[in-house]
This record gives sequence, structure tokens and C-alpha cells, in this order.
Amino acid sequence: MTELIVEVRDLWHWYLRGTPLETVAVQGAELELRSDDLAAIVGHTGSGKSTVVQHLNGLLRPHRGTVRVFGQDLGDPRLDARPLRRMVGLVFQQPEQQLFDPTVGDDIAFGPRQLRCTPEEVRRRVRTAMERVGLGFDAYKDRYTFGLSGGEMRRVALAGVLALEPRLLVLDEPTAGLDPRGRAQLLDSIRALHAQAGMAVVIVSHDMDVVAELARSVWVLAGGRTVMHGSVREIFARVDELRELRLGIPQVSELAHELRRAGHRVRTDVLTAGELAEALYSGTSPSSP
Amino acid sequence: MDEFDFARGVTVGQYVPGNSILHRLDPRAKLGGFVIVLAAVITTSSYFGNAVALLAVIGLVVLSGIPLGYVLSGVRPILPILVVFTLFNFLFLGNYDPTGSRVLWRQELGIGPYEFAFTVTENSLKQTLQGVVRIIALILLTSTLTLTTTITSLAKGIESLLAPFRRVKVPGHEIAMVFAIAYRFVPTVADELERLMKAQASRGADFGRPGRFQFAKRARQLVPITVPLFVGAFRRAERLIMAMESRCYVGGAGRTPISLPRLVPRDWISLAAALGFTLAVWNVPWPL
Repeated sequence: MTELIVEVRDLWHWYLRGTPLETVAVQGAELELRSDDLAAIVGHTGSGKSTVVQHLNGLLRPHRGTVRVFGQDLGDPRLDARPLRRMVGLVFQQPEQQLFDPTVGDDIAFGPRQLRCTPEEVRRRVRTAMERVGLGFDAYKDRYTFGLSGGEMRRVALAGVLALEPRLLVLDEPTAGLDPRGRAQLLDSIRALHAQAGMAVVIVSHDMDVVAELARSVWVLAGGRTVMHGSVREIFARVDELRELRLGIPQVSELAHELRRAGHRVRTDVLTAGELAEALYSGTSPSSP
Repeated sequence: MDEFDFARGVTVGQYVPGNSILHRLDPRAKLGGFVIVLAAVITTSSYFGNAVALLAVIGLVVLSGIPLGYVLSGVRPILPILVVFTLFNFLFLGNYDPTGSRVLWRQELGIGPYEFAFTVTENSLKQTLQGVVRIIALILLTSTLTLTTTITSLAKGIESLLAPFRRVKVPGHEIAMVFAIAYRFVPTVADELERLMKAQASRGADFGRPGRFQFAKRARQLVPITVPLFVGAFRRAERLIMAMESRCYVGGAGRTPISLPRLVPRDWISLAAALGFTLAVWNVPWPL
């Protein structure tokens, strides 16, 4: 049984509104998320995707249109958004830059302490959050935060949000600037959060490979508007439209298309390396001499 | 009004593109004219003179084509200080009036062992009101200058105005560079502050008001903001140094500009107009 947890209708948002520098960031975006979603919001730089997700926990309020998150209307100026921020965990771009406490454990405990949890509860939440991102509690809790590697710091920052135990996790460009190993580990953690912890997860990305690997449904933004949405396979089948938006498709799909153009009979709706291998194996054998 | 929208309130360090006469003036002429009008604003000591100076500054804002309301919103951040400053001047300045002008109002107060008096004299009232007008005119004038001038052209203007002082070892280029860098990063740091507050709010931080006198609590609340803000500032500084050094930047010695624009007639006319205005404000026998 899944419920609709996020409903964004005809959202408009302006930056520096009421000044000569006013610019419209979002003009008529739509978004819907269900409680078991593993979705991706994709779009070019400046397409408004980061602005849209900042509405989901009330950091920004809609200037026009409606945003309903867990049944609460964010257009209502009297609504206190703080309780909502515990249910919607928003992880910013380059979240390692927001760490401030010298020890890993204390930094992650910041959120639960703000919620006035008991020391036992804080400890439990920190332990759970750390294990969910693949950082051993005993091995890492007393480590010096600023001495960690970039990938580790990013996972600490993610754990800091997870310690609030949100029901919806929103990650803005989660893999940007990570090395391949850090990236793979992070994607595994996100997948596990969705599958095992039962969180709804949204990632914001312009890396189509990450989207293909992780997401099930995709929302495409361009110029502040939602221009496409559907399952990941449906979206990546619309190659020409994506190219027109200068978004491109996953490298694996690109390769399949290249092979087909070169005369091989290969399925082109492949999203991962495994699928391509399978398609090549089953597709090429009948045509080979 | 959005909870975390700081950039909206900051007009200092912003540049509003446009094509007005003020935008097109040479930065040297603009800076020179600015200093000359500034002199009129801060030295005239009559009600009329101050009003005329304020009107002239407002006229400049209108001339720049930037909405007056937006330029005035730059006053908002200092409004509390301005109010307190004015109130104290109004109540106490008359106690120390050396000119011996007429006393308009006097009230003596004794609270326990302390005795003090509120005094308003003709002269102190004038100074109080002038203070307010001058500060507003100053902010408007400074904002107009910076809102219509890009940082690079302002820095070039400063550098070339300071060039004659190189003989007495004034490092004009370095001063201009330091100024330009500091100025350039005001909006960047404001953006970063906003991002950090949002990020920490997303992990449960509460920046609500902890009661007026709970300074310690307030300071603790700000640790999650200030620590990353400083870490970020140092990182940015290091990157900037590396970028400058990798382009072989060694300071002003031997550097020449790629273009040497001449002052055109409109620059000279503006300077003359500014000078004429200031001399007029000084020499007109204002009745009040």
C-alpha cells in the first residue's frame, strides 16, 4: 500500500523577488512522489531542479502553485516547516562542506541532539545511521572529521541527515566529485536505504549513468518546467527528445545505439552494463555467420 | 518573504546592469565626482543645505535608472542602529552643547544615586536631524556608485587615481586588488551563508530566537554555521592564491593595462557639475 507523499503542482519560484535582479528559477514544475519511490529529477544546470527540491522540506516556499508534502500545504505561511524537516531529509550538494564537529560521532549526533533525544537514543540513531552508510560505528565514531577522505566525509554528512530518521530522503547531486569507488559505495548505500530501511528516495542529478543505475522513475526538468516523466526505461527510450534538451543518455545505452547504427542487431533499451552484455549475447548470435 | 533569503536584503556589493549615464561614466570620473558630492553631503551644516544634498543624491539615483525603493532597501539592515543612534543623540547631545544655543527642553532625572539629564538645544536638534539625513544620503550615494559600477572597473579607477602617489610608495595596485577581492567575495560569502543555514536547518538546526539575552545559546547555535563558513573561506583563499600564482601574478610592479581609455567630454562635464554643486551648497547663504 503506497501513499502519495509529495505533490507539486504548477510551482513557480523567483529569486531576488522584488529587486531589479529578479530571476525566475521555476515556472510551472510538477512532481509527484509515492512512499515507495526511488526517483530521479534530472535536468541541465539552471533547469530549476535544486530549487524544486528545496521546497520539499520547506526551505523555500512556493510563490505560486501548490506544494503538498506528507499532507501539509507549504503555501500556508503559518505552517511551521520545522517538523517537516525531520520527515524529509535533504542532503545538499557537496554536503561534506557542512561538517563542523571535530569528531565524526558528534557531528552525526547534531540532528538527534537538536531533537532533544535521550543520550541512549542519540547513540542508537548515530549507530544506525553510520551502519546504513557503511561506516562502522566503533571504527569511525571517534575519528577526526576533517582528516577523512572526500568519500568518507560525504557519507558522514549523509549519516548526519539519516540520524533524523526521515521518511523521504532527497539527495542533490550525490555523486558529484567522488572517485569511482566512493561513487559505487554511495550508490549501494542509497539502494539499501530504499530497499531495507523503506525510505522513499529522490536523487537530483545530471549524470545519466547514475540515474540509469539507481532510479526507477524519472522527472525531467528544463527551463524551470517539468517536460517529461515516466519510468526510467520509458524516459531513456525518448532519445531524440533528451538529445534536444542536451541531456544525453547513459553511456551504455549510447553504446547500444552506436552498435545498432553499425549494423548489429542489438536491443537499444539497455540501461546497465549487464543488460547490454545480455543483449549482445542474445542479439548477435543469430545474425553471426 | 522567504526564511533564508538574505541576498535580497544586501544591496552592497551588487551590480545592476544598465545603460544610464551613470553606468557609462568613466570610473575615475565617477569616483572623483562621488568624493566631491560626498564632501557636500557631510560638510554642509544647515537644514536647507542637507535637504538639497539629499535631493541631489536622490536625483542621482533616479538618473541611474535603478528603482529608488531597491536602493533604499540598503538602509534597512542598519535601521536599528540608526534608530538607537538618533534617539541617544536626541536625548543626550544637548548636555554637551558647546555653542550655548537656546535650550528647547530639559528634563532632570535621578534614579537612586545616579543623576542625569535629557537636554535638547537648538543646535543638538539640528545635529541629530542632520545625522539622520547625512547617513541616508551617504548610503544612497555609496549604493548608487557600486550598483552602477562593476568591481573591475571600480578597481581600475582606484588604481589609476592612486597611481600618482606611487612616488611616495603608496601601493596603488595592491590597494585596488585587495579592495576588489574583498568586495568580490561579499555576495559569494552571503550565498554560502544561506546554503549553510539551509543545510543545517535540513539536519535539525533551529535558528529561531533564543531569547534576547541568551548570548551563549545564540553563539552555540551559530557554531554549525561559522565553522564551515571559515573553513570554506580559507579553502577559497588558498585556491585563489594558487590561481593567481599560476598566472604569474606578482603584484603591481611592471603591470600595464590592456586598454587606456581617455576621459571623454561627458566625464569632464560630470566632474564639473559635481564640483559646481558642492561649491554652490557651500556658498549659498542658507536661511536655516
